[in-house]
Amino acid sequence: MSDNLARVSFAVEREEFEAPGRRPFRIVSSSPSRRTRPRIFYALTAVAGMAAIIVAQLLLSVGISQGAYEISSLQSSQSELGRTAAGVSEDLARVSSPQSLAANAEGLGMVSNSNPVYLRLSDGAVLGAPASASGSQAGAASLVPNALLTGSTLLSQLPDHAAAGTVAITSAPVVPAGLAAPTTR
Amino acid sequence: MSVRSSSARTNPTNTRSSRRRTFFTIVVLFVIIAVFVVRLVDIQVVQADSLTKDSVGNRSVGQVIYGSRGEIVDGNGVVLAGTVMRYNITMSPVNATPFKRTVDGKKVELSVADAAAEIGAATGQTGDAILLTISTALEANSKANFAYIAQKVDVDVLRAVQELHIPWTYSENSPSRVYPNGAVAGNLLGFLSGEGVPQAGLESGQDACLASTDGSETYEKGADGVRIPGSSVTGTEAVDGGDVVTTIDSDLQWFVQQTLAARAQETGAAWANAVVQDAKTGKLLAVADYPSVDPNNVGGTENPDDRGSRAFTQSFEPGSTFKALTAASVLDAGVATLDTGVVAPYRYLPSNGANINDSHSHPDQNMTLTGVLIDSSNTGMSKFGEMLTDQQRYDYMKAFGLGTATETGFPREDGGILHPADEWDNQTSYATMFGQGLTTTALQIASIYQTIANDGVRMPVQLVEGCRQADGTLTDVPDTTGTRVLSESAANDTSDVLEMVYQKSWVNAKWNIPGYRVAAKTGTAQMPDGHGGYSNGYLVSVSGFAPADDPQYVVSVSIADPVKLNTSAAPAPVFQEIMSQVLKKYRAVPSGASAPDLPSTW
Repeated sequence: MSDNLARVSFAVEREEFEAPGRRPFRIVSSSPSRRTRPRIFYALTAVAGMAAIIVAQLLLSVGISQGAYEISSLQSSQSELGRTAAGVSEDLARVSSPQSLAANAEGLGMVSNSNPVYLRLSDGAVLGAPASASGSQAGAASLVPNALLTGSTLLSQLPDHAAAGTVAITSAPVVPAGLAAPTTR
Repeated sequence: MSVRSSSARTNPTNTRSSRRRTFFTIVVLFVIIAVFVVRLVDIQVVQADSLTKDSVGNRSVGQVIYGSRGEIVDGNGVVLAGTVMRYNITMSPVNATPFKRTVDGKKVELSVADAAAEIGAATGQTGDAILLTISTALEANSKANFAYIAQKVDVDVLRAVQELHIPWTYSENSPSRVYPNGAVAGNLLGFLSGEGVPQAGLESGQDACLASTDGSETYEKGADGVRIPGSSVTGTEAVDGGDVVTTIDSDLQWFVQQTLAARAQETGAAWANAVVQDAKTGKLLAVADYPSVDPNNVGGTENPDDRGSRAFTQSFEPGSTFKALTAASVLDAGVATLDTGVVAPYRYLPSNGANINDSHSHPDQNMTLTGVLIDSSNTGMSKFGEMLTDQQRYDYMKAFGLGTATETGFPREDGGILHPADEWDNQTSYATMFGQGLTTTALQIASIYQTIANDGVRMPVQLVEGCRQADGTLTDVPDTTGTRVLSESAANDTSDVLEMVYQKSWVNAKWNIPGYRVAAKTGTAQMPDGHGGYSNGYLVSVSGFAPADDPQYVVSVSIADPVKLNTSAAPAPVFQEIMSQVLKKYRAVPSGASAPDLPSTW
């Protein structure tokens, strides 16, 4: 502010200083109104410029702060989503553990047949001695503990609708009243 | 200046008082300046450090960035041990006062007891327990500003507590270790203490690879906790640990543990272990122990000895499975062939004064090496073994890797006891032919059979593939150069003998795998009583490999003191189940070639 004013007064002084040398040629044009108007004009320009700068700076600062809040909230939502993702993948690792898979398979009535037999396609030869599965081979109870599975429920023990929801079994789409069959006579 | 000159002109007395005033003013000015200078020096120099610290403390926040401890994965990339973030719920007991909460637009005041009950419902404690924590903390220190409500809770509990919006509760991060597969390979993985210090197993042995370095970050925040834009951020970056890639197959490991545990419980065994090794590479595919620790719940395994892996850390006298080594040594040295015959009596009294007898009474028998192994005759084995000097047999044993820990680098791995040949007494000289008078770990026995299966080339026993760094490169890869112990023909001859044992042994019905050619040998060794003698307990074992015509997998099962069935009939079905599973899992197709038929008598 003071800087601008100084410049204005300097300009005025210079004008006054130069004036004596040129006075004979500038009588008509050197009216007082002509000399004072630029002062106000310059002052207003300077003040307006300052105001513009201040407003711009304020807006910028508000914008940056707004951005900071936005970043902060996005970061916290990112960390929340990260936590959710970590929790879900932890659950996935837990239920895909061998104990969980074996218990669920046996719960669904599956049995393991450890007697390997191969059919060689080139000549149709059967390699190995086929025998039927002898039922649960390693015993139904898990002898390899997993503390993480404490309290988890087997799929086969879930209520029907819950099981369907959990494993996302989508039944075949229901066709209303059957497909419209073409009637030909 | 102008004032002074004007007064000087008017009155001389005024001039003097004016000077005094000037002098006084100057003095006052200097005093004021001096005060400011002293204060400035005090602030800028004397108190500078503490003031800076205070100011930083008021506006800047330092936080630890946790580096993630590396994972331990199996050969297929399944995570056996991983790091997850857990949370500690903390509170400020001194600030635990009633507070107001807006419910449906109305302000409701909650007492401390109500809040405690709500927290308890979220963390699975009783409200009274939380009130007790508050009162205990305040009793110890009436201005206590910190106490744990619950430690290492998962994100669901954390969110439940956060949703209560109780102003005097806080949370902090607490990285924890989780073992998604529970006790699967728990014997190998080891575990960490509550403070995160590795205690056993790979966690301890591979700590140099797994360990991470925590970083820190400092930034400035406003009163509302939001980071001030552009504020200085200083700190060090966290460095994550590398992943340990093991050779274990987690699915197979589970099967082996399950099968072993079922049989060990059925036979009332003290402990048991089973090893599955790739015959061509020496890689361990499964190392099961019974009992076995669940690293998620270490306290659930009461006996500290059950928390590790006896397959690595406990050596024992192997017994008759060891006869395969003596037979291979004799064949490799060329002092006997598959047609060489000996007379095996029930009791053999060699000239050096030793006293050897077989497990059951029998008349003198004319046996080949094949017959000796089928009947597992100690006297017959002694007659073959004495064809070599003690030193020769000792050298073979050393070449097979006995007496020193294997190459796995497992913490506290036992190398077994193998005294130098010149320290053997008369009885030990013969006992070492059939697996007494020396000790081996289950791994060393598996390694003997791996050597025979792999045409006489012993591969280093390998448990860890290496340390996988963040950029995917594998470092610290162990040496995988094999060493030739036996000639190819001696190894194949021994394999043929073991195949005959598999076919003709009295446990054949219990270990028969239809369609496959298998080579195997049983062992029944008296166990030491810990006082220099033998107890009534036996360590029963079966070791072997399949398919015998192109050996790919070695399985070794040892069961200690199965009180309900102390013969090789205890481990034989376990061997059968594990070997069948291995052959099926890895699609080892039987060749259909017929097994050798060697004479057992002459």
